[in-house]
Amino acid sequence: MKIVNLPCKLALFSLFFLLLTGCWDQTEVEQLAYVVAIGLDKPEDVKEGLVEITYLIANPQSGAKVGGDEPPREIISFSVNDFINARNLANTVIAKQISYDLLRFIIVSEEFAKDDDFIKWMYDATKATDFRRDLRILVSKESPSTFMQNNEPLVDKRPHKYFDLIFKRGKETGTIPPGELFSFYRITESDANVFLGVYATTEQEEEGARQEDSDQIIAGEFDSSGETNTTQFAGSAVFKEGKMIDTLTIEETRLSFLLSNIFEKPREILTAMPDPFDEDYQLTTRIQRDGNIDMNMDLEKEKPTIDVTVPIVLEVMTNHSMNNYSDDVKKREKLEDSLEDTLTQKFEDLIKKTQEEFGAEPFGWSLIARKEFLSIPEYEEFNWMKTYPEMEINVNVNLRIDKFGRQIRLPDLDEVRD
Amino acid sequence: MEQPQGRTGGKIGIKEFVAIVVIMIGTKITDDTTALLFKPLLNAAWMVPVINGILAIIPVALLMKVSTHYENKDLIDVSYHLFGKYIAFFVLFILWFIGFCFIVVDTAIYTDIIGTMYYLRTPSIVIYGLLMFVCAYGARKGLENIGSVAWTVYPYLQASLFVTLLITFSQGSTNFLFPLFGPGALEVIKESSFTISIYMDILYVFILFPYVNRTKDFKKGTWIAFALIAINMALALISYIMLFDYHSVAMQSYPYHEALRTINFAFLTNLESFIFPFWLIGSFVKFTAYLYINLLLFAKLVKIEQFKYLIPTFATLIVFLGLIAENPAVTMHQLKQTIAYITSPMFFALPILFWIVAKWKGEFKK
Repeated sequence: MKIVNLPCKLALFSLFFLLLTGCWDQTEVEQLAYVVAIGLDKPEDVKEGLVEITYLIANPQSGAKVGGDEPPREIISFSVNDFINARNLANTVIAKQISYDLLRFIIVSEEFAKDDDFIKWMYDATKATDFRRDLRILVSKESPSTFMQNNEPLVDKRPHKYFDLIFKRGKETGTIPPGELFSFYRITESDANVFLGVYATTEQEEEGARQEDSDQIIAGEFDSSGETNTTQFAGSAVFKEGKMIDTLTIEETRLSFLLSNIFEKPREILTAMPDPFDEDYQLTTRIQRDGNIDMNMDLEKEKPTIDVTVPIVLEVMTNHSMNNYSDDVKKREKLEDSLEDTLTQKFEDLIKKTQEEFGAEPFGWSLIARKEFLSIPEYEEFNWMKTYPEMEINVNVNLRIDKFGRQIRLPDLDEVRD
Repeated sequence: MEQPQGRTGGKIGIKEFVAIVVIMIGTKITDDTTALLFKPLLNAAWMVPVINGILAIIPVALLMKVSTHYENKDLIDVSYHLFGKYIAFFVLFILWFIGFCFIVVDTAIYTDIIGTMYYLRTPSIVIYGLLMFVCAYGARKGLENIGSVAWTVYPYLQASLFVTLLITFSQGSTNFLFPLFGPGALEVIKESSFTISIYMDILYVFILFPYVNRTKDFKKGTWIAFALIAINMALALISYIMLFDYHSVAMQSYPYHEALRTINFAFLTNLESFIFPFWLIGSFVKFTAYLYINLLLFAKLVKIEQFKYLIPTFATLIVFLGLIAENPAVTMHQLKQTIAYITSPMFFALPILFWIVAKWKGEFKK
C-alpha cells in the first residue's frame, strides 16, 4: 500500500472525533441562549446558601434583517443554589438552552461582594467546564438585576458589543481596572496583594456629591445630563482575601496603573494638574508611564524600605495661564518641578492609603519582591501582606515633558487686549 | 516474528524516528503530568525537565552504548543475551507490565481530558472506544506508517504549541518565576530525582533500535528528540507559571487546557477550539506509538509471530481496564504518581545494570 494514504486515513479517523460533536454534545446556534453576564446577589428573606442569579442574555438576531425588531436582550433573575444549577432552572422561563460560551463578566452587588461567603461562589467558576478564566469581575452599587435593567444604552444596544467597548475604552483611559477572574484567583490564593475589580452603577448620586477634583470620583458621582445612558463605569472595587473592602476613585485607579508593572499601560490618561503660574487654572495633561517602574528594595532591615522610581512622560495639553514655555527654560523647569511634586504627593497619598486603610497594595509589588528571595519558604516567612503596612516607601517621580500640544506658542494676552 | 513490510523494508529514517519519540513523550506536558511536578516544586517545576534531562543523560548514554554495540539486535535480544533466559524474561516482563499500566492510565486520563474539557455530554466509553479504535488501526499499519504519520503531523503540532506558548508568554509575567528556587535549591534536586521517570519512556524507544535505518541515525535521533522534549517541557512549564502563578497552577488538573481557556489572540477569544484538533491528532499518534511498542515487546516476550492480531484484543482490554476507575481525574492521577515514584529508580538503575553486566562479560572488547 502507499504510505501517503495512511496520513489521510488517520486524519479521516480523527475527524470522527469532530463528528462526535454531532452526537451527544450537539447544539444548534439557534437553540442557544447566550449569557453575556451573570449577576450574583444575596437575596433577602431567603434561606442561607441561596444566591440571586441574574442572566443578561444577548439576542444575536437583534438588528438583523430577519427578526430585526426583536429586543437586543433578555434579563431574568431568580434565587438558586449556584450559577451552574441555575442553567436548568432558567429554562422554566427561557426557551433555549443556556450557554456560557460568550460569557464575558460576572456582576456582583456591592453588598454581596462584602460578604464573607462571596468567595465560595466565585470558585464555582473553576468547576464549570465552559467558564473561561478571562472573565471580568464587575461590582455594582445596586443589585445586579437593577443594574442590568437600568442599563439601556441608546446606541450600541447589543449588550456583548456595548460591554466590550466599555471595557476596551476603560482600559485605554485607565478609569477602570482590568479585573480579570484569573488574577482574582491568583491574588486571593497568594494572599499578598489586593485585587481590583471594576466598579459601576446605574444610580447617579444626589446633587452635591461631586467633589472639587473631577477625577476624584467613583461610579455614581459623575454628574452628567442630557439624553444618554445612566450607567457609569468608574473606579475600582478593592478585594482583600476574596472580600470587597473599599473602592478606589478614578484618579486612584490611574495612579495604581502607573505604579504597577503588572497592569498593562493605559494609552491615554487625560487629567488635570494644578498650574504653577496661576492658582485659578488647571493644566490638562496626558500622562503615560515611560517603561517599567524601577524598585529598589531593602527587606533585610528591621523596617524594610522600598525606593520606587516612576518614569513618567507627560504632555501638556492646555495652557490657560497663557505662558510661553517655548522661549523660557526657567518656566519649563518650574513647570516640570511643580508637576513632579504634585505627582509624587499623589502617589504618596495613595500608598499611605493602601498601607493604612487596606493593609495591602494593589500594585503587585510583592511579585517584584519575590526576586529578593531565593526560595518560597523564605518569602512566605517574610509575609508580604503583614509587613507591607510597616514599610518605609519613598516615591521618586522621574518626569519628562514631551510636548506642549500641537501649537506651542500662544499670543500674549496683554498685547491682544491692548 | 513477522517483520513489518513496506517500501523501505519496514525501517524508518531519522526524521520519522525523532517525530515519534517527541510526540510520544513531549505530549506529557499537556496532560496531568505537570500536576506531579507543580505540587512539590511550585514555581521551580520548570527546572525538573532540565535537571532530570541532565541526570537522564547517564542511563540513556549507557544503554545507548550497550544496545548499539550489537547491530540488528533490539533491547529484547540484548537482554536475553546478557542476562540469560530467566532473568531477562523477568526484567522484560516487568518493563512490559509498567508500559501497559502507563497506557491504561494515560488513555484513561486523555479520555477524561476530552470528556471534561470538550465533550461534556458524550459518554466516556464512546470517547475511549473511538480513541483506542483509531490507535489500534494505526498500530496495525506498522511502524513505518506510524513514522510517516508522525513526521507529517509533527511540524503542525510543534507550531500549534509554539503559538500557544508565544501568546501565553506575552500575556503572563516573568515575576511569577521568582523566588527562583521554589521550595529551596536542595528540595528541587531531591524532588527532581523522584520524578526522573518522566523520561522513562525513552527505555521503550530502544526497542525500536533495529527498525531505524542506521545505527548513527538512532543515536543522533535519540539525542535530538531528547533535547527537543526537554526544551518543550521546560518552556511549557514556564509558560503555565507565568500565566497563573504557582498557587493557581498547582490546583489545576490540566494546566495546558486551562491556559487555552485563558489566553486570547486579537479577535479570537475562544482559542481552544482552534488548538484542540491539533492536540487530538498528537494524542492519537502518541498512543498509536505506545500501543505498537508495547505489543512488540509483548509479542517478543511470549514469542507470538503474528502480533498484528493482538492489537484489537489489547485495545479492547485497555478500554475496559481504563473504564474501571471511577473518577479518573483523581484515581488515575494517584496511580500515575505511584507508578512514577516506583519507576524512577528503576529507570536510573536498569541501564546501569545493563552496562555493568556487559562490561563484566567483556562484551565491548569483542
